[in-house]
Amino acid sequence: MTSDTQPLSSWWGSFNFNSGQNKQWHIGPLTLIVRCLDGEWQVAHEIADDFDDIDASWQTTDTDLMPETLDTNSRYIFRQTSGLLSITPLLADRAIISRPITPFNLTAGEEVTLYVSSPVWLELSVGSSAKKLQEVAIQRPSDTWFGPSTREGELCYASSTHCRLNLEDLPQRPHRAITPVLIRNQADTTLSVERLNVPAPLLPLYAAANGQLWTSKISLIREKDGDMAELQIDNTSPLEAKAAEQLSKPRQTASGSALIRAFNTVFS
Amino acid sequence: MNELWADIVNFLSGEKMWSMARAIILVIVGIALAKLVSSTITKVVSKKTDSHRSMLLRRGSYYLILILFLISALHELGFNLSVLMGAAGILSVAIGFASQTSASNLISGLFLVAERPFSVGDVIRAGTTTGEVLSIDLLSVKLRTFDNLFVRIPNESLIKSEVTTLTRFPIRRIDVQVGVAYKEDLKKVRELLEQVADKNPLCLEEPKPLYIFQGFGDSSLNIQYSVWAKRENFLELKNSIHEEIKNIFDENGVEIPFPHRTIYTGNITEPFPIRYEKASDNDPSFHDQPK
Repeated sequence: MTSDTQPLSSWWGSFNFNSGQNKQWHIGPLTLIVRCLDGEWQVAHEIADDFDDIDASWQTTDTDLMPETLDTNSRYIFRQTSGLLSITPLLADRAIISRPITPFNLTAGEEVTLYVSSPVWLELSVGSSAKKLQEVAIQRPSDTWFGPSTREGELCYASSTHCRLNLEDLPQRPHRAITPVLIRNQADTTLSVERLNVPAPLLPLYAAANGQLWTSKISLIREKDGDMAELQIDNTSPLEAKAAEQLSKPRQTASGSALIRAFNTVFS
Repeated sequence: MNELWADIVNFLSGEKMWSMARAIILVIVGIALAKLVSSTITKVVSKKTDSHRSMLLRRGSYYLILILFLISALHELGFNLSVLMGAAGILSVAIGFASQTSASNLISGLFLVAERPFSVGDVIRAGTTTGEVLSIDLLSVKLRTFDNLFVRIPNESLIKSEVTTLTRFPIRRIDVQVGVAYKEDLKKVRELLEQVADKNPLCLEEPKPLYIFQGFGDSSLNIQYSVWAKRENFLELKNSIHEEIKNIFDENGVEIPFPHRTIYTGNITEPFPIRYEKASDNDPSFHDQPK
């Protein structure tokens, strides 16, 4: 195996293939093999079960391994292949439910900024017109239900990490994006935060200079009457990610910068 | 011959012929218009509402227009409609007695449509039949079972008996019944079950999996472990969670017992003596003995 000639500050970007060439990516628990043939792309991936989530290593290499050796593989047929593959990180297609290590209370008038990390998907596209092949989850998060009852609610992903109060406590990993969440309690009563709904499909994704992925900052403001919550999404990269570059747009467009939601659809 | 010809010409040029022609035209126009209106309504409505409602609207509009045109055609033919209605009233009593079952199914069908316990496309279980609802008609509900059979269930039996709609709510619960040997540590078993649910991405984190100790069974400690899944993932999780529980129990030496039976000869007597005889390879008579 020889190391790829790309500058390895990031695992995403554009990659050139010769016909018959295989490349392999190891990003967190994901192993991805892409093979380029004349008129065909083959994509195979596998997610390791026993993975140390703190592991921040990743690598891109040329490989002799065939896509068939991995669990899931698919073939895409084209009239002609240009040999150009683009990998773009994406945020989850459903909201992420994050849980603090221990539930905390926010007294009336207080505010706090939490850092929530969420898993990232990667989109594979080929050619100069970026024809999409497929999306691959780097880490398949567990499903969860978020709603007042088993009849009403929405299906979300559960974040296996926890909401952190200090940025230093949050391990920097290439396969997870960090979302700064500002919570402000403007109501007269104490706000108990057990779970937090981070609307990942509404957020753009940024990359800091060190390769860490970030999303724009969101603000959750509990209104005075206590029944409603206002969700604000910044349009810019967060201050914590210095000189960040936007990698992908939000999957869904929010109806406005401020969304008023029922309290129980944001907090629980 | 000439008289007959004169009669035909007389009839064709007469008023009756014209009214008959008008009636036939009315029926033809009625059918065409009913088809056009019902298909237009379906096209307009199908994007905004579910298939069940659009089917009802389509059929309702079709029959309404057709009946109006048929009544006009009868009127054109010179039928007195009030007399016809009176006759229909008497006739309907007679028909009602004769076709009690159909009438009951018809009324049940109307109630089913009004109550909407399920709609077209839902998966329901009625008695022992489980399948996808293809259509809800006036007399019966048509199902496609998962082994691809067409089942017709009369509306009356659906109104009378219990019907379960499997696709009503977005998430479902799977109850895993598992028994462990009496020697096992229940705390450890519970931890292992939680570990399985935690690792399986299809198993929902919320609502939390439910652990219920069901009781001291004949041969095992019976446990119910209930996990939640997205409706579409129900079967996949049901298969994978059982497999994973078996695997983790095997890895950790937790025994899933089969029924044991210990035989005592009573309180006072000693247990049955057991003698073990080792078979001799050179002894052919041992192998010949019935087993």
